[in-house]
Amino acid sequence: MNNNKSKYALLNASALALVGTMLTPGATWAMGGEAVVKEKCLACHTQTGNPDKPYSRISEQRKTPEGWQMTLQRMEHLNGLHLTSEEKQTLIKYLSDTQGLAPSETAKYRYALEQKPNIVEDVDPAYVEMCARCHSNARFGLQRRTEDEWKELVTTHMAVHPTLELHALSRDRRWYDIALNETAPKLAMDYAFNDAAWAKWEKAAKPVLNGSWSVSGFMPEKGDYSAVLTTAQTSKDNYSVTMVGHYADGSELSGTGSAKVFSGFEWRAGLTLDGVRVRQVLAASEDGSMMTGRMYQSAHDEVGGELKAVNGTGIVALTPSAIKQGQQTKITIKGGYLKGAVKLGKGVQVVKVLSRDADRVVVLAKASGSASVGMRDVSVGSTKAKAQLAVYDKVAAVQVSPMHGLARIGGNGGKLPKVKSTFRAIAFAAGPDGKPGTDDDLNLGYMPANWSLKPQNEVAAEDKDLEFAGTIDSKGIFTPGDTGLNPKRRMSANNVGMLTVVATVKEGGKAVEGEADLLVAVPSYIKRAIQ
Amino acid sequence: MKFTHTIKAAALVGIAGTVALMSGCAMSQSGDLNGMKGGGHEYLLTVTRPNQLHVIDTETNKIVRSCDVPGTFGQGTVEPSPDGRIAYVGTNKWEDVVGFDITNCDIVFSAKQSYDNVTVKSFVSLAVSRDGKELYTVQNPTRKLNDRYEVMEPQLAVYDTSAGLNAKPIRTFPVDRQITKIMAMDTGEVILAGNDVQAINPENGDIRILTLLQNWKRGDSWTQPDAFAMHTLGEQADEFILPYFTIKWNGDPGDMEKAEFWWGMSRVDLKTGEVEQGEILPFEFIVFNFITDPTDSNILYGAFNTLSKHDIREKKTLAVHNMEHTYYDLNMTQNRTIYVGGTSSDISIHDPDTLEKIGSIKLPGDQSTSAMRIAFLK
Ligand code: HEC
Ligand code: HEC
Repeated sequence: MNNNKSKYALLNASALALVGTMLTPGATWAMGGEAVVKEKCLACHTQTGNPDKPYSRISEQRKTPEGWQMTLQRMEHLNGLHLTSEEKQTLIKYLSDTQGLAPSETAKYRYALEQKPNIVEDVDPAYVEMCARCHSNARFGLQRRTEDEWKELVTTHMAVHPTLELHALSRDRRWYDIALNETAPKLAMDYAFNDAAWAKWEKAAKPVLNGSWSVSGFMPEKGDYSAVLTTAQTSKDNYSVTMVGHYADGSELSGTGSAKVFSGFEWRAGLTLDGVRVRQVLAASEDGSMMTGRMYQSAHDEVGGELKAVNGTGIVALTPSAIKQGQQTKITIKGGYLKGAVKLGKGVQVVKVLSRDADRVVVLAKASGSASVGMRDVSVGSTKAKAQLAVYDKVAAVQVSPMHGLARIGGNGGKLPKVKSTFRAIAFAAGPDGKPGTDDDLNLGYMPANWSLKPQNEVAAEDKDLEFAGTIDSKGIFTPGDTGLNPKRRMSANNVGMLTVVATVKEGGKAVEGEADLLVAVPSYIKRAIQ
Repeated sequence: MKFTHTIKAAALVGIAGTVALMSGCAMSQSGDLNGMKGGGHEYLLTVTRPNQLHVIDTETNKIVRSCDVPGTFGQGTVEPSPDGRIAYVGTNKWEDVVGFDITNCDIVFSAKQSYDNVTVKSFVSLAVSRDGKELYTVQNPTRKLNDRYEVMEPQLAVYDTSAGLNAKPIRTFPVDRQITKIMAMDTGEVILAGNDVQAINPENGDIRILTLLQNWKRGDSWTQPDAFAMHTLGEQADEFILPYFTIKWNGDPGDMEKAEFWWGMSRVDLKTGEVEQGEILPFEFIVFNFITDPTDSNILYGAFNTLSKHDIREKKTLAVHNMEHTYYDLNMTQNRTIYVGGTSSDISIHDPDTLEKIGSIKLPGDQSTSAMRIAFLK
């Protein structure tokens, strides 16, 4: 657990450490959750006598495991509750199982649980300035409360953050009145405590996530990978996991760890993968046939990428997922235990099978010069997958993902490390109408690109942000500058900046470019389970 | 476009909140000034972390004495008494007020506002009556119950400055929420800067509007003014000054291309209670605080990343000087020497005409959001 230890030192709030707590292996429940509530919470909370909402302040809220963890953390830090780590695990599990969110209720805000960086949220104007200026919309979008409980939350904010109503964007309005009388009632409608989705999910049979999973994913630095994830239930909702596979460059990947499932579908796993601690935050589909989410380094949550797992044998994805007319190229078909002949669709010939592993098949493929432009279904033996490979004429447009990047200066002997930002280029062919940027464009997936930076605007140019804010490498990974004041800059400013990231893909001697914004900001000292 | 500077500064630097204070009392009048000069000699007062009050002679620009302030640093609010002898300091995370005799660091007044399960915060709001006999704070109480908080109504608290070391309010009156800086006038009233600028009579709690801000009805072509009232200032010109920022839509509301960005201010004469309010300058860069030239009310100086000088009748910027780092606060003596401070551990001294730097005072700790006030020692 060395990596976890350094993380505690790096972040001076221990919210993420608690994510660790949730996963401490081998937890045996000395007491049931309800017994812990009765023993630990009733010093301050009261029993209402109403079986529908037995405990004051506790029973009329629902949230994710991370949400419960934040609340319990406040009980400890501000309200004087003492819990052993075992009691805390028991409570997080019990509360998120009995007062959690249904899969559909979390769908819109999973990025926050996944610790996904570079998210620009789409926020209802009623919340933008009132609520979502200090933290994400996801923090409250991942909670469900009665109107009274939303009001109590407003009150707590006023008491715990006494200057709140004086900040910019509060002081120009009657913040407290509005929060209580307009925002809280709206929250109670948008994020209602009583919801059919939860009522149904609470009763539904939950999937057991045992077995062998075909995995496809991405990790910055390493790139695309394929793997087989093997899970074995050790006790209800607890699993031991093994992950073995390959990165696209052929190097091997392997790791083991454990996982716990909350609310019947929230998969939280901790693994040591090639010597590095990583975490998986996945949502199981309601039928248990698939898990999707993100895997990231425990000590650097910005270093991570999407992960998709399909139960059993299946074709999960292709790398690359496009082939040009007349081109011959190596293609990796990612999927577990694929057997039999490989078919890449009309006009695309499998020249040779280069290798077969438990997690993938690598082939040399050739598209004929006259192969029609469009998506191809792919099969390996009897395993089939729809629309996996694009045949294209030329790259017409390039998009950079994410569109709005965020990096943070750091290092330089300071407490916090630099927070890097990883960009990828997604290519498009123009589609039948011949015009890029329209609905019929053909998505060619991620493509290698040349990466460069330029100042985002006049001010950034004047301040020489390009010179100071950081550099981007050939893999699209931006490394920000050192933290601290820089005497070489105007006003000895620190190395923050506003840059534009440019991805260039060469197409028939022409350069096709895509751009994204990048904000290089100051370190953030506060890290919470839900930002 | 210059406006981008602001957005960038706000987004990248993350401006910290605030602070302030006002003018005060006359009690432990011993006549012996312990080597300090009387007759209205000007001393600059400020607070640094961890929590020390500094008394600086504006003739030598040297620290005369530093007094340890009990409690955790709050926002470094300082309020001199009218005779310049006592410095009232807001401390302990906005909760307590402690009065120091600046000639010897003796604590002559202390009020702990929180009690039982009630936490009472006063944000910047600290004022002393013009005769020095009463001290005012605006209290924002919250009560902690077993499993919830209760937000209580804010109130003006009146203290007797001779109450000593365990002072309790002698009168309280309800006031609006969101009140920050306050100042006492010769009318006996206390100015309250909140949603609007009000004056409260501390004898009976009667409140009248001095000038409207949030409730200022100017139609859709102006945005509501955003007034920033985090530093009490104005003793050098015997005034209360509250800058605001506003936008005039020349096209459709929200059409930034056609919009004009303006600095405005509300200014109250502490002798008469007379108010001036309106736009003073096009917004070109961030100014954290403005002060008035004590010899010419038409001239304002502003500080943040720059020190700037403005003619408000002409709505013109006369001079701009780039500062070595960001400063929140400024003040000025009667002979027009400018002191720029706040944020860091130095006070930068400037010429009022060229704005050139002419000196510096090194402090033992960071001023952070502290006030920088002038005591006229009698
Ligand atoms: C020492 C007193 C104390 C104990 C023990 C305590 N709480 Fe609380 N609880 C409070 C107070 C005070 C509040 C209201 C302020 C707040 O939300 O922090 C509160 C609020 C809450 C809320 C509402 C939070 C919100 O976001 O609105 C929940 C849920 C809660 N407690 C759960 C628990 C649970 C579960 C336990 C037992 C494991 C517990 N508390 C134990 C004092 C306590
Ligand atoms: C001034 C900044 C600020 C504003 C404005 C703000 N919050 Fe928060 N909020 C915080 C901080 C800081 C916390 C962390 C409190 C803690 O747990 O220590 C928090 C915590 C929360 C939590 C988690 C609490 C829990 O334990 O369940 C929710 C939910 C939340 N806020 C919702 C809202 C809503 C809804 C609004 C608008 C009405 C709002 N916030 C406005 C700063 C803010």
